[in-house]
Amino acid sequence: MNVSDLSAPRRGQGALIPLLLALLVFVGLPALLAGFDRGYFYQIANLALIFILLSASMHLVTGVAGLLHLGHAAFYGVGAYTAALLSTKFGLGFTVTLPLSGLVAALIAFLVALPTMRLVSIYFAVATLAIGQMLYLVMLNWVEFTKGPNGIIVTKGLELFGFSLSGRLATYYTVATVVALCVLAIGRLSHSYYGNALRSIREDDQCADAMGVSTARLKMEAFTLSAFFAGVAGSLWAHMTGYISPGDFKFSESILILAMVVVGGLGSLPGAVIGALLLILLPEGLRAFGDFRNIMVGLVMFLSILLLPKGLLGEVSALQLARRQLGAAWRNTVKGEGIGWR
Amino acid sequence: MTALKTASLAALMTGALAGTALAADTVKIGYQLPLTGETAQYGQDFRKAAEIALTEFNASGKPFKAEIVFEDSRSDAKEGTNIARKFVDDKAIVGVLGDFTSGVSMASAQVYKDAGMPQLSQTASHPDYTKISKYQFRNIATQAQEGPYNAKWMLSKGYKNIAVIAEQTDWGQSVVSGFTDGVKANGGTVVFSEFFNRGLKDYRSLISKLERAKPDAIYTGFFYEDGAQFLRQVQQLGIKTPVYSTSAAYSPKLIELAGEAAEGVHLTSNFLPTDPAPHIQHFVTEWKAASNGAVPGQFPAQAYDAVRIMLAAVEKAYPNPTREKVRDALAQTKDFAGVTGKTSFSADREAEKELVKVEVKGGAFVPVAD
Repeated sequence: MNVSDLSAPRRGQGALIPLLLALLVFVGLPALLAGFDRGYFYQIANLALIFILLSASMHLVTGVAGLLHLGHAAFYGVGAYTAALLSTKFGLGFTVTLPLSGLVAALIAFLVALPTMRLVSIYFAVATLAIGQMLYLVMLNWVEFTKGPNGIIVTKGLELFGFSLSGRLATYYTVATVVALCVLAIGRLSHSYYGNALRSIREDDQCADAMGVSTARLKMEAFTLSAFFAGVAGSLWAHMTGYISPGDFKFSESILILAMVVVGGLGSLPGAVIGALLLILLPEGLRAFGDFRNIMVGLVMFLSILLLPKGLLGEVSALQLARRQLGAAWRNTVKGEGIGWR
Repeated sequence: MTALKTASLAALMTGALAGTALAADTVKIGYQLPLTGETAQYGQDFRKAAEIALTEFNASGKPFKAEIVFEDSRSDAKEGTNIARKFVDDKAIVGVLGDFTSGVSMASAQVYKDAGMPQLSQTASHPDYTKISKYQFRNIATQAQEGPYNAKWMLSKGYKNIAVIAEQTDWGQSVVSGFTDGVKANGGTVVFSEFFNRGLKDYRSLISKLERAKPDAIYTGFFYEDGAQFLRQVQQLGIKTPVYSTSAAYSPKLIELAGEAAEGVHLTSNFLPTDPAPHIQHFVTEWKAASNGAVPGQFPAQAYDAVRIMLAAVEKAYPNPTREKVRDALAQTKDFAGVTGKTSFSADREAEKELVKVEVKGGAFVPVAD
């Protein structure tokens, strides 16, 4: 790859791929789903979308900022519990719980981030592991508040200002819209000067610090933002399934999300999306193989890491793709200033 | 990405469509259970029990053949709901068995509720499970029934001050509340109650804390893995306080793992593999043949009965069984003579079962009168 490749925006062509993706998600897939009219396919599509959001939100911390996050599922859980408790205790609907779930998860992430964000590398990983476990144990053991292992039945389905969106197609469109908007936001964050600042922390945090990048603040922002999106995913899950319990948010879920990000390609947003699709669709597609399916999923993961260590769609190709095909944010010169993201 | 998605979807569809071509006289039942993952040992046992029941049914000259579709849920709510949707989509499936844990059963129940699919779990013990809708049944005595029964038993033995410990799960919660209510109603006192997380390795701090409350006896809510650990450590600490437990700990593996430490433990059960009744001996023989001579525990017996209750309901709904007809037939189940005793479903779809008192003596479960 040479620099002129990178800096040559092929304008005009820029909107093609996003348009195709939008067509696929909002026209092609729903048409297929409606054509087959099977609840199973709708369910898988919705689940895949929720995990795309989880994987994309973790991508921000682990992929772009390079911080190994081992407690992501806990923030997903905080979001789900916020939605479930608000809806059962105060009768609030999805329209209200969706943003609140994100905000509560972000708030908790912010609070726990305050003392931990100066940590680096493995120490950061262990701190997030501990945060994840603490939140999980709160969900499990604070029985009076969270109902503990009994879980919560969420009777309110998806809705928008009182209009029920619980039909199959309506549910899909709701989930797809929320996830698409969030992924778009994450895309803008990671393909920008802001994203590059996060990447500089990943490459060399001391150097970044010396260059005037406020590493602790950026880390905290990335961590909080990622928790916000995980919380939104939690709200979607709570209203979609109708029953949540702490088991849905344990450590193994964090590892699953981490695996999605790594298999897809660390630092690559399209990679995170592909990783989530792969690890949700593959175990379902392999059901016919019975007890061996988990081994086969493991084998696919192992081989993909062995043969494509940078991920299914690595960061460099992802950035190239973003710059060439999604080039809306890329300018050669803007008002006489140099090249860069806007 | 598009190609990958299409390919995966195509793979999914072929997988789902395969096996729908069936002869007209075959009725399908779904069984969702953990065949892999942390609780796979239970799911594998359920499948074995279900296969014994199915083979018998199909060999007994009924007007139709039954088929069970097993799907692995890994005790994961995501997978459980996926399977539930899959079963509901399959128009040939008229009833569903499972799941193992209450959590997964209840997440799946949300799907079955809307689709009108009868669901019979062999183990889901969450108090709210059967309250989800008229389609949820269970073939397990709840702690609301077992707790007071055990409380009366212990109080009749003169134990007035009782310590209670249970695993931190929905089931463990119901163990403590069911038992505590029973003790209070009958004039006893619960002097200590605490929960531990499943898979705990060191119970010594819990045991010494518990002993400080000076209980006459200890009532425990655990499965055999945790139970064996707990009992061994009670023995190591030289504590002689009698230990009582629930039917969930009733498994030959408890004695196998705890060895001598299990001696003298009292518990209830509704399945006794030593019972000479021919239908029980038949199941025990079949089970031994399928599992290298091992004796079946409480849970496989419950699964075996659950499958037979479901098949009996399907038979009642035959010909042209529908999900609604199977549900109604299930609800009418009365005095079903299974290996776990006679089972009837109450109006709120709870299994009413007779309990047997058992003590561990000489490395075996021995029924006792009191």
